[in-house]
Amino acid sequence: MDISPEEASKALQEIEASRMAMRSAIRSHRGHLYLWLWGCAWIAMSVLNWMYDKKALSANYWISGLGMLATLGIGFFQARQIRVTIDRRFAAVCATLLLFGYCVWPVFFLGEFHSYKAAFGYFTVLWMQLYVVAGIWFDNYLLWIGLAVTALVVATFLIVPAFFWALTLLCGVMLLGSGFYVRYFWR
Amino acid sequence: MNDLDPVIHQPARLQIMSALCQLGASERVDFTYLKQHLNLTDGNLGAHLATLEARGYIAVEKAFVARRPKTFVGVTPGGRQAFAGHVAALQSILQPK
Repeated sequence: MDISPEEASKALQEIEASRMAMRSAIRSHRGHLYLWLWGCAWIAMSVLNWMYDKKALSANYWISGLGMLATLGIGFFQARQIRVTIDRRFAAVCATLLLFGYCVWPVFFLGEFHSYKAAFGYFTVLWMQLYVVAGIWFDNYLLWIGLAVTALVVATFLIVPAFFWALTLLCGVMLLGSGFYVRYFWR
Repeated sequence: MNDLDPVIHQPARLQIMSALCQLGASERVDFTYLKQHLNLTDGNLGAHLATLEARGYIAVEKAFVARRPKTFVGVTPGGRQAFAGHVAALQSILQPK
């Protein structure tokens, strides 16, 4: 099959135009909505914990529960346009991490949660572990978000516990900011 | 050196393959969503997808979403490779060694 350089150039331009149109469409499905959602949820929880400490526990449950529902809703809506084949092994790894994190490790270490901050840090870092695993599994930005937030939570807890809630608020800002980066700049 | 692929070179199929190659390996796009983004009609898109599927370049899956049948389309590894080869062939026409 032979074509002229003009035809080749035109074909490459068409490819680029189609590529750019699809890329901008796909960008709206890259997970930024989840990062915005959980960034806001995290900020809200940090502010409430900062103001009311242990009394904010039930509010945390409500925020987490509503966040889960919203996450399912976003997933359902987006799967109508672009859907990702669920990797069963990845789902099994996540389920195992959560099962152990919520049901097994606390049995042995619940007494070691010497403060409300320690318990909050434990559960948030547990979810960040899922980000790290997802980032490794799918080779994407979640790895770095998970590591950065985990490092910040652990460092804050160990080094400046007095500012724990203020700095966990920063973790929420990191999630929110990552959402903007993914939406507008990341490919 | 790569050769031009006559199946991919058809303008609409070129557009389709270019769009589908932007998806991740495990991602599939809805037929209607793809149609809107490419400005093609149902029949036109369906016919080109059938040609690409017969060649093994794309995978077409049927699924039910909210109890409604939906068609999802994704590119196969072979399709991705063929498209990359076709683009390389086009570029080599513009920049002959």
